Amino acid sequence: MTLQIEFISSVALKPLDEQGKRNYILRSVKKNKIVVLDGMLTPEEEKNLIQETMKSIDGQFPGIEISTLGKNEDDLRVKLIRLLGGTIGGMTVIGPSKLVKEIKKDPNRLNLLANAGD
Amino acid sequence: MLEGFIKWFKSLFGKKKTVSLGLYGSPNTGKTTLANKISLDWLGEPVGTVSEVPHETREVTKKEKILIESDGKKLDMNLLDMPGIASKVDYRDFVTFGMTPKEAKNRAKEATKGIIEAIKWLEHVDAALVVMDASEDPYTQVNLTILGNLEAKRIPVILVANKVDRKDAKPNRIREAFPQYSIVEVSALTGHNMDSLYDTITTKLG
Repeated sequence: MTLQIEFISSVALKPLDEQGKRNYILRSVKKNKIVVLDGMLTPEEEKNLIQETMKSIDGQFPGIEISTLGKNEDDLRVKLIRLLGGTIGGMTVIGPSKLVKEIKKDPNRLNLLANAGD
Repeated sequence: MLEGFIKWFKSLFGKKKTVSLGLYGSPNTGKTTLANKISLDWLGEPVGTVSEVPHETREVTKKEKILIESDGKKLDMNLLDMPGIASKVDYRDFVTFGMTPKEAKNRAKEATKGIIEAIKWLEHVDAALVVMDASEDPYTQVNLTILGNLEAKRIPVILVANKVDRKDAKPNRIREAFPQYSIVEVSALTGHNMDSLYDTITTKLG
């Protein structure tokens, strides 16, 4: 299986509302792409993405692996930037779980284990 | 933001008499074992069945009117045992536990519905016990998503480092990953340190 990674700038997602962003991500992941977003999803966006993923699960699509890297939401500065509509950097990695076996995370690093051998 | 304000406004007029306490976490962290232990200790009856097969709890199970008491402090609560939250449910995993593909697909479908239900409840509980398996890496996206959402709604959280009876348990990893939370180390299976959990619950939520 060929491993395809799609890097998406925050500019590309800016015109999309939350649902549009979610649909875009899931469409790409269902095409067996690993999506790397420039920016972090909020906890609410992550929650909604998991819910939407659950609705899509079938024998062919068992779900996603997701991990974010960046500033913690409880940081007051981060909250203020978000409130003013700004972006706070960081990144989000989302992949199909049949391809991405695990994303190991520590506060400043992500290690993605993919199985591209099938 | 509005919900946060409403919560704060309500808090000015005293605390609710009965607290809805949700048990959240990934599958197989011991949520139902913990719910059973709490319910057995205070009501004398269990909440649900426990299994090694992931997603044994596939719908929200409620035990009402549990009155817990510790050190003179009391708390009346409804206990909500939530299905484990995950970002993937592969029916093939259930086949490895001896289910037929048809049974496994049905279970996977029920599990996805359970996850959706648990997520919907995230904003309706008054407080949460986020249960983590002390022998596993706690720094997972599911844990961060659960905590991030509870925090955004200003819902009080107690972290439960469960399964400390296991030889490979490292509850300190949970303390290092989430230093900003109250953490109680327990074994719901053996009952180890449950008194400390009851004390933390009644102190923080009572």
